[in-house]
Amino acid sequence: MSALAVDGLTKYYGDVRGVEDLSFSVREGEVFGFLGPNGAGKTTTIRTLMGFLRPTSGTATVLGRDVRDEAELIEAKRDVGFLPAEPAFDESVTGRRILDYHARLKGDDRRSELLASFEPPLDRPVGEYSRGNEQKLAIVAAFMHDPDLLVMDEPTSGLDPLLQDRFHGFVRGEREAGKTAFFSSHVLSEVRKVCDRVGILRDGRLVTLESIGEILSRSGKRVRVQVAEDVGPAAFEMPGAHGVSGGEVISFTFTGEYGTLLDRLREYTVLDLDVEEAPLEEVFARFYGNGGDPTGRDGADEGNPDTQGRGGTDPEGDRP
Amino acid sequence: MTREVLRYEGRRRLKGSVYLGVGLGLFALLFAPFYPAVKESGEQLQEYVENLPPAIRAAFGLDAFTTIEGFLATEFYAFAWVLLLGVYLAYRAGGAVAGDVESGRIDMVLSAPVSRAGVVLGTVGSLLVPIAVCNLLVPPAVYATVLLAGETIAVPRLLAVHALSVPYFLACVGIGTVLSVAVGRASVAERGAIAAVFGLFLVDTLTTTDPDLEPVGAVSPTRHYDPTAVLVRAEYDLVGAGVLLAGTVALVAVAVVVFRRRDLT
Repeated sequence: MSALAVDGLTKYYGDVRGVEDLSFSVREGEVFGFLGPNGAGKTTTIRTLMGFLRPTSGTATVLGRDVRDEAELIEAKRDVGFLPAEPAFDESVTGRRILDYHARLKGDDRRSELLASFEPPLDRPVGEYSRGNEQKLAIVAAFMHDPDLLVMDEPTSGLDPLLQDRFHGFVRGEREAGKTAFFSSHVLSEVRKVCDRVGILRDGRLVTLESIGEILSRSGKRVRVQVAEDVGPAAFEMPGAHGVSGGEVISFTFTGEYGTLLDRLREYTVLDLDVEEAPLEEVFARFYGNGGDPTGRDGADEGNPDTQGRGGTDPEGDRP
Repeated sequence: MTREVLRYEGRRRLKGSVYLGVGLGLFALLFAPFYPAVKESGEQLQEYVENLPPAIRAAFGLDAFTTIEGFLATEFYAFAWVLLLGVYLAYRAGGAVAGDVESGRIDMVLSAPVSRAGVVLGTVGSLLVPIAVCNLLVPPAVYATVLLAGETIAVPRLLAVHALSVPYFLACVGIGTVLSVAVGRASVAERGAIAAVFGLFLVDTLTTTDPDLEPVGAVSPTRHYDPTAVLVRAEYDLVGAGVLLAGTVALVAVAVVVFRRRDLT
């Protein structure tokens, strides 16, 4: 049985499209990343799965229960933990009382265990919490009943890097314990770290559903380099480099082998170098073009011949 | 599950409810020093009151103003109790569910195995806390006011005026709740609830003196709860209380149906 199955799901807000004809499923025991730029429809999908929104057409099941049927979905929710994009609590209430409330609503088998990893100041009113502490409280509240399925909407957006790592560790641990996790993100590196499979959403439609390996090979790095020598952007034109531009600081997106990049850098005196994850929007623009057909792979391949057949590259070597 | 929502939300309202009840009690006590002068003016003042336009007399529950019962009914119950507390409860009910939806607080609650109906019922139920607390704290304060003014009052009437206020306040909560689940923004629902209860009060008072329009005023909760009649004439309108309870049930039922069908965005 699929932990989550989405079938032809369409949600319109009046005339505005939220998502259109979405179909995918999440297998039991896998970590599924739901990737897309802001406004792509990730939150709409998740809120429909949680029964907060009614599908315009199509349907979905959560742990085999139809999301359109409140009574069925309530049964499913006994085994589902949900972490919203921006968790909010009554500001006058202490964290401890929030957790007591949720314990009575659904149980708290793992409260103390989770509090050991994510420790919000329980005796202070939530109104005094920082964004990070509120997120920690939400993580404990969402998962303390030890759910089989974890649904998370941009779970690390309010966390500092240290806590992001801790959270990713938590998700990996859940997977090892046989749990299923479904989470949305607009950060490719995060999805890379913890996901088995990825669905990419763009403008309310599912673009492609592929293995993490394929995504990895196609994403690329944003490189910014400043060298002592007086060279133009042309100096960094090489296989795998896209959109090379700039003057003093030259920037480009690089999807090739690291060796090629390093060899080229060694030819100069590097004053400053910055290599970071390419923003998702940029990855999309490169693969699918702006305004191109987002549903097929043909456009992608035309747009970026360099990435053909480079599957399996795993520069960080840390994917599960 | 409704019970858990009720317990949490009710406890959250306890402190504010005590402040509210104490405040209303102190407000009632303020009138103790004024009464002897009112009683003194006797006939003259009574004559003046009886010559006021009927709508004004209806609005302020003016009857037997120079008796302690009539004085309290007008000065305290007609305004602070019926209008102020009624409007306040509708306002709080208006902001309750709407505020939780707008802020996203409801997401965490509804991610638990809780029905939307349970959330509405628990939230409505939690507003029984301010109603109960005020009805516990205010009668002793009013009784003290009477004693301080050197008067006596029939305790059964005092108890009845409070007991019969409960269905009235529930109806106000019901009005606020319907707006709360139907309107997307809490501030709009809150203001709408204030306008609705106050508007209905105006409809009641403006129609009460016109035989043709008089039945129209029956849509207002204030028509079915008259502290002056209870305190001055010992008239206990049990039918009115029944109408208010039935109205509350209908309003809450509508709220549940509306809220179950709604998208939570």
